[in-house]
Amino acid sequence: MKEKKQNRHVYWNPYFGGFLLGILIIFTFFITGRGLGASGAMKSSVVTIVDDVSHEHAEQSAYYSKFVNNDKSPMNNWIVFETLGVLIGAFVSGALAGRIGWRVQHSPKITRRRRLIFAFGGGILFGIGAQIARGCTSGAALSGMAVLSTGGFITMLAIFGTAYLFAYFFRKNWI
Amino acid sequence: MGPLIPNELISFEWSSIIAIIIGMFFGFILEASGFSSSRKLAGVFYGYDFAVLKVFFTAAIVSLIGLLYMDYLGYVDMSSLYVHPTYLWGAIIGGGIMGIGFVAGGFCPGTSLSAVAIGKIDAIVNVIGIMVGIFIFSELYPLFEPIYNGYFQGNITLIDSLGVNPYWFVFILTVVAIVMFAVTDMIRKRVKKVFY
Amino acid sequence: MVNRKLVKFLSLRYKILAAILIVLAGGLVLLPKYEKHEGISPEQLLSNAISPERYITTDELADRIINQDPSLLLIDVRDENAYKKYSLPSAVNIPLKKILEDDSESYLNQDEFDVILFSNDNFHSDQAWLLCNRIDYKNLYVLKGGINKWFNTIINPKKPTENMASNAFELYSLRKAASMHFGVAYPKKVHKQPVIIKKASVAKTSTAIVPKKIIPKKKKKKMPTEGGC
Repeated sequence: MKEKKQNRHVYWNPYFGGFLLGILIIFTFFITGRGLGASGAMKSSVVTIVDDVSHEHAEQSAYYSKFVNNDKSPMNNWIVFETLGVLIGAFVSGALAGRIGWRVQHSPKITRRRRLIFAFGGGILFGIGAQIARGCTSGAALSGMAVLSTGGFITMLAIFGTAYLFAYFFRKNWI
Repeated sequence: MGPLIPNELISFEWSSIIAIIIGMFFGFILEASGFSSSRKLAGVFYGYDFAVLKVFFTAAIVSLIGLLYMDYLGYVDMSSLYVHPTYLWGAIIGGGIMGIGFVAGGFCPGTSLSAVAIGKIDAIVNVIGIMVGIFIFSELYPLFEPIYNGYFQGNITLIDSLGVNPYWFVFILTVVAIVMFAVTDMIRKRVKKVFY
Repeated sequence: MVNRKLVKFLSLRYKILAAILIVLAGGLVLLPKYEKHEGISPEQLLSNAISPERYITTDELADRIINQDPSLLLIDVRDENAYKKYSLPSAVNIPLKKILEDDSESYLNQDEFDVILFSNDNFHSDQAWLLCNRIDYKNLYVLKGGINKWFNTIINPKKPTENMASNAFELYSLRKAASMHFGVAYPKKVHKQPVIIKKASVAKTSTAIVPKKIIPKKKKKKMPTEGGC
């Protein structure tokens, strides 16, 4: 019964969602000439935070200094606005389907604590990886694939390939 | 004609507003397709839910076919679109690290943002983790720099690097994807159902 | 009855969708190929070509050179030998044959300078203009009459006869002053002399000014290099 209640996720047909996402990507390229993205906004946030805490450090660091610009805030960026939109859009969708609520989603076999630790660790890895590859699944892989970018295809294969390779070690977390 | 903003058919000031609108649709589609649920996302690696694969490849194929048709009809100039640059080992190693992060954390940045919007605490932790990861990368940037900037091959496409006709490539990719969809459906029937 | 048909149809829906996708993708392969028209439209080209604004007169050019107009970029489309013998001050030599090569693009395809094309007359420079205009290079002009007219009007202006209108005399004095600027010594009528001086001035000014001028126009890709994520 509890399972049944937890399993009230009625989502779109994946093909329908994929079709709309594809149309959105076409539209995005048609309007802006570039693809979608997500982790860029997080990078902008990190740069902003570091810049606020220690401006000198941000100026000196080889990486931050690329994004720190004295007359323009790193938050004033296409990708940041897009990410704000993502939050709004996802909230609207969640609200319409009644999925909003504070909760931790985890397999019944693991504790909440373990799930959070793994989510955090996975996030760290994803953050590092996304910087090395200059984009995440949406920015590099999905938008890259839409324009047949070699880098996008390689990134996509690398993400899914390693994820499948390592899936065995994390199976307890999910099934 | 297109892309509209780089060709100054829409003034640059609109780009922030357009960004928010595009983002809203993006977030809506992600959430409504179930990408705000980490267990649904992770299902693709254990064979109990292939939504990620289906959405991802359907989107890639639809956008590829659509863009090529629009290019053919002259609505958008493919050569003036932003092509993700290719840093060979950066893409492989970065992608590998992201793959481990994906299966460990169950989110990628876009999906974790859409999950944050509906109040998933694990997603919030995941986003904080991503930001910490970016912070670590930036602090250790000299260490990563050879990979980050090395093996640069330009903003190349598969047409340049493989020398294939894009139309044939898309056609083959479409067939492969459809076969893959059929196979994943068969796998899913055999794998034990997982409720989440 | 209808319901059963609908159910049957729905059970096939994925196959139908897959078929549609494959047909669409296959359509791409089967599309008739055609060469895309590059550059500006033929109508645009025609209207540019018949516009008299694409010419610049020798007097105008002399005036701009003397006033050291910084937005001037002279391109000599004759071959190298002719260029070495004589050319206009600070001109850059891009022979007509090389006009579409990549090296030339940085000079021709930019929006900071007014590019003046010239040859011995305006025959070759007109050809060069047409080639460049077709691929949508901006700010191109042709020196009307080319170097020959330059000689006849600026370097060696014809003295007006006395029964000519007064503005002919004004023009003459202007041209004479200009030719003095370009190194012609009056009243000596030496034909060779300007050449030598010109060469010197070419060598001097071209080294001084030309390197500054190699500022290729930014490609149309103005997008930030930061991609998606």
